[in-house]
Amino acid sequence: MRMTFVVNGLSRTLDAPPLARLLDILRGPLGLTGTKEGCGEGECGSCTVLLDGVPVNACLVVAGQCDGRKILTVEGLASKDALSDLQEAFVKEGGAQCGICTPGVLMAAHALLAANPQPGEGEIRESIAGNICRCTGYQRIVESIRNAAKEQATREPG
Amino acid sequence: MNPAELALYPFERPGTLAELCRTLSARAGRREKTVLLAGGTDWIVERRLAPAEDPNDLPLVLDVSRLPEMRGITVAKEVATIGAAATFLEIKSHAVLSRRVPVLTAMAREVGAVQIQARGTLGGNLAGASPAADGAAALMALDADVVLASIHGERRVPLTQFFTAYRTTRRAEDEVIVRVEFTLPRTGAHQVWRKVGTRAAQAISKVALAGVAEVERGRGVRSGFGMASVAPMTVSLPSVRALGLAPSLASVSDEELDAATRRDISPIDDLRSTAAYRAHVASALVKNFFRELRIAAGS
Repeated sequence: MRMTFVVNGLSRTLDAPPLARLLDILRGPLGLTGTKEGCGEGECGSCTVLLDGVPVNACLVVAGQCDGRKILTVEGLASKDALSDLQEAFVKEGGAQCGICTPGVLMAAHALLAANPQPGEGEIRESIAGNICRCTGYQRIVESIRNAAKEQATREPG
Repeated sequence: MNPAELALYPFERPGTLAELCRTLSARAGRREKTVLLAGGTDWIVERRLAPAEDPNDLPLVLDVSRLPEMRGITVAKEVATIGAAATFLEIKSHAVLSRRVPVLTAMAREVGAVQIQARGTLGGNLAGASPAADGAAALMALDADVVLASIHGERRVPLTQFFTAYRTTRRAEDEVIVRVEFTLPRTGAHQVWRKVGTRAAQAISKVALAGVAEVERGRGVRSGFGMASVAPMTVSLPSVRALGLAPSLASVSDEELDAATRRDISPIDDLRSTAAYRAHVASALVKNFFRELRIAAGS
């Protein structure tokens, strides 16, 4: 099936089996290996990407249902010469350790901050409830997200 | 099977409900297998456990996720209509539902994490007929009707009669669930969603209870329940419902509630929990519901 997605702002057209997993399309033909496969059954959140701005597990989304839609992966967060506030906060705060969950956590947190720029701790924890991390104990991830929200607020008052 | 084999399956995206119904009818007539795919949060996961299928006899997968007739949520004249392909995230975010039907909002918030909420649908939840289906339990408490469509038109089945056995429903091969409908509980109705499991998000329940009740001068006038993970199907707790319609709720004893709960469930031991624990929790949830109901009703 011929399909077109807008991936990280760029229109990409390819021929792929319609029931191929979005995860395999991203990591294979599109070469975007930042998105990780963890459990492959929608439990761990490692493969989280945004589909039309909403977090989904790319291991459970079939490519044919993405035709004509917008996909944002971890490669789309940084600009050409700088990490995003969220990525910077993870670096400074130690929100990333082994790194396998990090791209998925970043995407879930990015969606949260886009919808709710000043989330409370409960909202932060709920937003990443579908992302399992075995290193950090979550505290540093929560603090990274909170610091990114603060950083954004100081930069863009109001 | 290896999920990579999914790439072999044929796939179509019907543009209208009528086209979908024609395809379903033709294939059912030829005894060809068809899969209706919405969010894929169950079906794709189950493929991993399923034995490999004969590559010469693969089912046709029909995408129902974007059919306009199956999308959207409307509330009019005190009736809520939810498209079978509306996602849990859309349900959770719906302002009128969160005000009038908090039992449904709470269910949608706990059915899985946001990644699952964004993809999962009520249609898939009902069609899959898992005994642990959160959406089925909540809709059962609301006494929802399931609306099925085929080339012969629509028919309506009360959800309390929709499941016939473990993972089996009254949906025929040539039918698709298009929407669910239910009468809104009145403002101030007592509504509860309690999911007991190992984790708040992203876990299948050991036991889940949805309850909706209305009381007038101490008398129960609406009593709906749905309980998950305590029987081969989601159950509507008919004996407990009857107690919820008692002329005097204050006189309903804990012993009666325990006996009714025991009659209505048939829990088993499995990888998530034990029969004994489930029976204990089911009774406790029911008794808590009635205790809170009596307090809310001031009796």
